This record gives sequence, C-alpha cells and structure tokens, in this order.
Amino acid sequence: MANEEERQLLVVIFDVNPVWWGIKSLQGQAQITKCLDCLLVFVNSYLMLRHDNKLAIIASHSTKSVFLYPAQESSHSPDPSKASISDQAGGDCRYEHFAKVDDSVTDKFKELMRDGCEKNDIRRDSLIAGSMAIALCYIHRMQIESQGNTKLNARILVIKAADDAASQYMSFMNVIFAAQKERVVVDACILGQDSGLLQQACDMTSGMYLKVPHQDAFLQYLLTAFLTEAELRKESLVLAQSSRPREVDYRAACFCHRSLVDVGFVCSVCLSIFCQFSPICSTCETAFKPPVLASKSRKKRRALPANGT
Amino acid sequence: MEEQGEDKAYRWEGDYEKTWEALKEDETGSLQASIEAEINKAKKRRLQQRQRNVRLGMMRHLYVVVDLSQAMCDQDLKPNRAVAVLKALEIFSEKFFDQNPISQLGFVSTCAKRAEVLSDMSGSLQKHIKVLQDLGQKIIKTNAKHCTGEPSLQNSLELCAKSLKHMPSHTSKEILIVMGSLTTCDPGSIHDTITQIAKQSIRCSVIGLSAEVHICKYLAKSTKGTFGIILDESHFADLLTDHVPPPAEISPESSLIKMGFPHHVSPHESGKISLCMSRNTFTVGGYFCPQCQAKYSELPVQCVICALTLVSAPHLARSYHHFFPLPMFKEQEVPVGSSTCYSCCKPITTATYVCEQCAISFCMDCNAFIHETLHSCPGCIISTNHVHTTTNGVV
Repeated sequence: MANEEERQLLVVIFDVNPVWWGIKSLQGQAQITKCLDCLLVFVNSYLMLRHDNKLAIIASHSTKSVFLYPAQESSHSPDPSKASISDQAGGDCRYEHFAKVDDSVTDKFKELMRDGCEKNDIRRDSLIAGSMAIALCYIHRMQIESQGNTKLNARILVIKAADDAASQYMSFMNVIFAAQKERVVVDACILGQDSGLLQQACDMTSGMYLKVPHQDAFLQYLLTAFLTEAELRKESLVLAQSSRPREVDYRAACFCHRSLVDVGFVCSVCLSIFCQFSPICSTCETAFKPPVLASKSRKKRRALPANGT
Repeated sequence: MEEQGEDKAYRWEGDYEKTWEALKEDETGSLQASIEAEINKAKKRRLQQRQRNVRLGMMRHLYVVVDLSQAMCDQDLKPNRAVAVLKALEIFSEKFFDQNPISQLGFVSTCAKRAEVLSDMSGSLQKHIKVLQDLGQKIIKTNAKHCTGEPSLQNSLELCAKSLKHMPSHTSKEILIVMGSLTTCDPGSIHDTITQIAKQSIRCSVIGLSAEVHICKYLAKSTKGTFGIILDESHFADLLTDHVPPPAEISPESSLIKMGFPHHVSPHESGKISLCMSRNTFTVGGYFCPQCQAKYSELPVQCVICALTLVSAPHLARSYHHFFPLPMFKEQEVPVGSSTCYSCCKPITTATYVCEQCAISFCMDCNAFIHETLHSCPGCIISTNHVHTTTNGVV
C-alpha cells in the first residue's frame, strides 16, 4: 500500500472541443454529457480510495481553460456562504464531498457551454498545452502548501478528443520537460485519433497511454487503467505490460522538407535540422564553410610512395 | 565577495553599510517574509542580467577542475570543504545536463602539485555522479588523508587545454576551477599558459572558497570568464548555478554538425540479442546508429565506431527555450478587491505579475515557477492569437 506519509493529487484535463464533440454527437458515436457522467463516477471512485486524495478538474476549451473543480469564486456566483448553507439544507443522501464535486463540475460546465467562445475563435484541434501548463502551476502550488508535512505524488490525466495542434509543439515540449523535472506523471486517455505529442509525453514521464476504441467502454477503461497510482502499476501484470505497448518515434523532421530524417545536419547556432548540407542556415542566416574533403588528399599522398618505390 | 571594479575603493574605506536595516520583522516576529523578498530580488536581478539576442554556445565542453589539496580539509563547509564541493558538483551536473542535453562534462582533480583526470569528458550523467559519489565516500572514510600538498593551476590548465584542443571548433570550450587554496605550485610560467588558453578561446571561470587570489582573477579576466568568492554554501550553489545556462558565444566559428537520430527498437519488437556498445554486454533492444548500426542503450551519445553524434529530437528541443527567453513579467499592486491567480486559483495577496503579451496576472509563486521551470506563459499559450515564432521542425 502507499506510504502513510504520501498523498495523491490527480488533475484531470478534459478536452471539450466543441467541433469534435458536435460532429461525434451528430454521428451518434459519442455524447459529451455521457462522458462527463463517466468522468464523475471515476472521480468519485478516486476520492473514495483514500480520504485525503486531492483532485482538480480542468476543462480545455478553444480559447480558455477553466477549473471545473475546485470552483473559483467568480462574479456570477452569489455569496458563497449562502450557497453552502442551501446545499446542506438540500439534504439529499449523497456524501458531502461527492456532492460538492459533482455540483461544482456540472455548474461550471453548464456555464462554460453557455458562454462558449467567439465564432472566429473556434478551432478543430485541441489546445491542451495551455491546460497542462495551468495544471502544473496548480500542482506546484499544492506542493508548496503541503511542504514539510507530507510528500505529494501528483499526476495529470488528459482525456483528449480532438487532434493535435501542430503550432503547440514548442509549448507542449516545454510543458513535458517541466513535468519531467517536477516528477509529475502524465497519463493519456484518447477518445479520437492517436496523438504523437501525448505519446511522447507519456513515454518521457513514464505514464500510461491508452486509446479507447468506443465510448461505451470509457468508464470501464478509466476505472481499470487509471485509478491506480503510478508507483503501484508495476505490481499489476496487466498494467505493467500495457504501460509501454508501442515504440514512440523520436526522429526529427527536417526544416526544409518536413520529412523524417535519420541522419541530419544541425546548425550549431540555432539548432535547426536540415537533411542536406546548405551554405546558409535558413533560420539564423549563418554562413557555413563547406565540408573539407581531407580523405582524397591523404589517399593521393599514400599512393605516390608506393608507385615511386 | 563580489568582483570589485578597478576604480572602487576597498570595503573598509567606504561608508558603513547598515545591512541589518534591510531585514524587517512582520507582526509575528518572523523574518521569513523579508528573507524571501531578498532572495526573490536577487533572483530577479540575475534573470534580468541575462542578455537577449546574443549568440549562445549550445554545444559545450566543460571541464571542472576540483582542488583537492591540503586547504580543502578545512571544515568551514560541513563536513569538510572537499565533500561539500563534491556534493554541490553532483547537483550542478544534474542541472547542467538538464539545461544542456547535447553538451559534455569532464572532471579533473589537482593535489600534490599534480593534476589528474577524475572522469573523462562525456555526456553520461550517471558516470559522473558515480565518480563524484565514490570519491566523496572515499574522502569521508579516510578522513581526507589523501588531500595533501598544494594544487597546481598550470598543470590542471594544461591538462584540460590538451584535451580541449581536439574538440571541434564550433563547440564552446570552458573550464571551471573550484579553488580552495591560496597557493599554487607550477612548473613553469603560468602567464604563458594563460596566453595559450586565451588564444585557443577557452573560457576559464574560477570560484574561490577562501579569498581573492590575483592570478585567478587575472585568468578569469583574460579568458572572458567570471570570478567569484563564496560567502556560504547557498551562495556557492548560486555561483555554480550561474554556469548552468549557456554562455554568450565568444568564438565566431559555426558549422553544420552531422547528427544521427536513431530509431529505438524495443525488447518486445525483436527478441534478437546484440552487443550494446555503451554497456559492453549483450542486450535486447536499444538505439541503432543509422550510419554503422552499432547499438547503444541511451542517448545522447557519440558513436565510438563512426564518430556520429546520436541524439533524439527532444534533446534538441530542450535547448530551444534559451533562444526565446520568456520576458520578465511586470510587477503590479494587487487591484482593489481580491483577485485570484490565473493558473493556480490562489487568492493573490502580495503582488501580481502581469504578462505583457497576454495581460494575464499571476501570483508570485507561479511567476517564479513559470520563469524557472516552465519557460512558457500559460496565458500566451491559451490565447488564440498566439502563434509561436519558431518553425516547428519535429513531428
């Protein structure tokens, strides 16, 4: 079992890209409300494992990332003290902690869907790098607050729907390196297409990458694979094997043709990658000396004495 | 002490500095808040001093010369200077390889008027840490018996220079000397060595543990390095950390370096056994050099057969943030009514830091975290009009 001195913090990042979810619900393949219900059941099970498990849920929209739980005090909500009294007076038989989480998530989610974003800002691809950056800041804050008492094991679970955004590569890599440094495990549960960025993230932080084939099994996958904390996964035969099922392609693409290279030329000033030698670097405009062909002159010198003697 | 300019007077000739007035107690009588404010101010000053739009030496070959002479048995750093220095160097090596993944590090020790190589120049962090830890254990066990004699500055400089001469010209060659003794015993004229090193454009920096020695300062100045004397252990860690980010490039050489990006074969994919060149044993799976098909267990590494540098794309990506350093956020007063930090939802009490590009405010802890670890502003990533200025070269 986990050490008494350690606590868990789980941050769930839920991708609510409106384009992807809209298309899927029109096709009848996936419903965001059903997924949200599955997520709430999963989160309640996680909270039930230990009384001091900590949780945060972030929704990643096209233009903003919103904390669904813990609820921030916003200008829309009424006086918080009055709200909590009315909750307690509501008196349904739910465990209070679960009720708080469920209500906060559903209220914030409704608010997010209602507010939405401008028509020009809607994107087809999901911008999870920003949500992951915010998650890391929250984890950092929690680590500072619990310092000295107990160690905090933090992990991020990304539930991704839409495709990768190519423009986010740099920010995403910075986030992955920061997660590596802070010893945060990144797990990924993919509802849509395979994501190369998240494969790299899970590989580099030793997390689990899982692609869910169809939505009906979503809750079962969540409960089986992602409920256990990272350190205990190696105790389970199934989870240990499926942690790294496929090889991640870490090759680089050259800047000129965007094709994957095995052997490339790297500019020593700006570290841009080219597939063949060029006299000027296109990124930083440094001039290079062409490679000196030393071998030919040596061969000629060696051949002469043999002929001469 | 900090390096003093040529025209400044000695400290005893100046006015009194009432340093005790800088610290203030808060209502509970604790000094913690003002100490943290001082630390943050120093950090901010350090970050601001970093110049922008300067060519940086990305691929670095750094030799660290550790003084293991009689003066290092002194116990002003706990348990003695030598062990404290070795521990600090372990932490420095980790940070160094974290910020400069394609660089190489080597360790040289000097004692009893000689210099010898502790750990060869390589890019493998584990090897260096093992050497440093073993040496630290040995010193503790034998109670620093073999830290004898005097260090030799000239011998250690010549040893490093001889090895750095063979390095390619586009790399940044550096030597960092940690000197605890006030003397040095040299076979010849050290000025000749210093001119030779300056000619080879090797950048030497010195960190002194006891007092300022003129020759060390002269060495650092002639080779455009830095010179510092430590006040205590945390100041020593700070001075070491100053050498972690890549320095401004002094040599104008630049070239296209041929590098290989090997594909990883996992043990599950192919059960074939082959010789791993980095461990000298037979293993299943690993990275295969694209030029000569030699196998290695970890990257980055230089192929011993065909001399091709093997890296993976994230190693290069780790250095990209040096080219686009995140600008400092503007410090502002807390607005009327409480406000919460955008990224961690904590109510802000002390001061807000506002990013100038996306106009989003953060708290002090998030500001420090963003600038030191994350290197990207979360607000800028999320705002839709943010298009990153680099051309993305990787999948």
